[in-house]
Amino acid sequence: MTTENRVSVQLKGLRKVYGDAVALENFNLELAPGELVALLGPSGCGKTTALRILAGLDTDHEGQIIINGKDIASIPANKRNMGMVFQAYSLFPTMTVLENVAYGLRVRRVDKEKRRVKAQELLELVGLGNMGNRLAHQLSGGQQQRVALARALAIQPNVLLLDEPLSALDAQVRTQLRDEIKRIQTEVGTTTLFVTHDQEEAMAIADRVGVMRHGVLEQCAPPQEIYLNPINVKVAKFVGAMNLLPAEILSANELRVFGQKLELRASDAAAPTGKTGMALIRPEQLSLKLGDGKGPASATVVSRTFLGPLTRISVRMVADSSTLFISMPSAQALQFVEGSSVDVQIHATSVLLDA
Amino acid sequence: MKKKLNVVNYIVLLGATAFFVFPLIAATEFSLRAKNATTHNFDNYIWVFKQDGFKTTLGTSFRLAILTAVAVLILMVPTIVYLHLGGARWKRFIEFVCLVPLVVPVISFALGVQTAFPTFLQSTVYELSFLYVVISLPYTYRALDVGLSSIPLLTLVEASRASGASMRQTLMFVVVPTIRSAVNGAIFLAVALSLGEFTLAVLLHWDTFPTWIANISQGHILGAISLSVLALVGSWLLVLIVAIAPKSFGSNKTQEVAA
Repeated sequence: MTTENRVSVQLKGLRKVYGDAVALENFNLELAPGELVALLGPSGCGKTTALRILAGLDTDHEGQIIINGKDIASIPANKRNMGMVFQAYSLFPTMTVLENVAYGLRVRRVDKEKRRVKAQELLELVGLGNMGNRLAHQLSGGQQQRVALARALAIQPNVLLLDEPLSALDAQVRTQLRDEIKRIQTEVGTTTLFVTHDQEEAMAIADRVGVMRHGVLEQCAPPQEIYLNPINVKVAKFVGAMNLLPAEILSANELRVFGQKLELRASDAAAPTGKTGMALIRPEQLSLKLGDGKGPASATVVSRTFLGPLTRISVRMVADSSTLFISMPSAQALQFVEGSSVDVQIHATSVLLDA
Repeated sequence: MKKKLNVVNYIVLLGATAFFVFPLIAATEFSLRAKNATTHNFDNYIWVFKQDGFKTTLGTSFRLAILTAVAVLILMVPTIVYLHLGGARWKRFIEFVCLVPLVVPVISFALGVQTAFPTFLQSTVYELSFLYVVISLPYTYRALDVGLSSIPLLTLVEASRASGASMRQTLMFVVVPTIRSAVNGAIFLAVALSLGEFTLAVLLHWDTFPTWIANISQGHILGAISLSVLALVGSWLLVLIVAIAPKSFGSNKTQEVAA
């Protein structure tokens, strides 16, 4: 059941201030029709503010909200036709599940039988077809959020807004529902904005991930790109784990780490030639080789953490006693027992520099 | 130890019950006495129903009560919802305003009415409703405030707004049903107050049920006591209705507007 209204969304130059605190600064984001974009960032970074502005629940902001070419900034929340799922459980406690899902149609004065059919159809879609007569408090948290999703979709919204819908749920339900949201979103084809502070969630669900920090959208790109080619040090450090390795800057686009030349990616910090800095390298971009304890890259294995298919090894560098983390397949990690001398090898070709 | 405490509890409970029940039994017995004081019958009750003005004043009082309750809800529910949703800086002011009726003597209200109310209002008994709304504010405010504090109001309102509901629809379909017991409490308080209010009605020269009771009981003590017993039973019935209503009416209502 694909909806007819696949819309594009443009948020242009949004700015929102609460008292002295700037919640959002020059925020620009475009969503292609049918796209699922996740806004990712720590709490207080402005991601929820951006979503609430799009929903019309936060007003008094600067900037434009353009849906299918029309600026809707002056339209009140209840006329925007947005489907929203909240972080907190938000089902209406006095209505049955079916009535909850049909609520948006009821306030639109849709014929009783029509809205019952539509609501039932959506309950089937979220896998709760037989729960229509229950009340909210008779459902588990995961089921309540499914109903909330069905309720949001019942009005065939222009945009689906998901405000940390999974954060109140326990880990197993969260993963399951996350995959299901993705499936339903793909099936229905509604343009979707998903707000979360959980990296894995954002990476797993989104077509593009927007990384936010202090009210600013740092980078918005497909998950692989965010992870492999972060645009700057802030994004690199926020997404996934990062090692900081001492680097010598050779030129504007070259540096040397452990005697190995690496390409320096354009960064927001200007790199002065001849100085040193810290190169950012992911745990899986490093590997280990049993060594003799000499040389610039030698280290001692401190501990191993078994994570199932992967094992994370932490080593202490002989040169400066700093700690690095290396991820490798668990089978390979067996040879590196605690206390053994190793050499660290770098497999990255281009890296970012934290000057 | 625990058992002993239980015994004490029961003694206290029995004592308190006796304290309340004996006067009621005595009053009921007294009101049922026949003129010769040796047999019992319902003459005094029949006498009450035969008096002029019983039906008219009772009708007036009920109409006033309903009007008052409706006005209280229309005035107070949106106001207190607004206070909870972001008008917090007005909260202390509104709270203060709602407490004022407790400390202002009713007679000043009556005087105020005669100088400030437009004449078309002064010429009808329903002017009392406006005053009853005011004097019920301290109680109805509390009832509704507590009700709204106990629900995740902001989330529910935002969910309703996002679903496309206007503020009026949100109040009617979501907020009021969710705080139904608080709304019922407020209705009950407003109704009870309107049905029992005496001073304002007398001062403004209107005939309501309480003023009628005062008038007729002056000449017939047994009749007056029969009336008190009737009034008591009546108010208990009212409490009972309000207590049962949310369950039965509530479920019917949701069925009726079902999707």
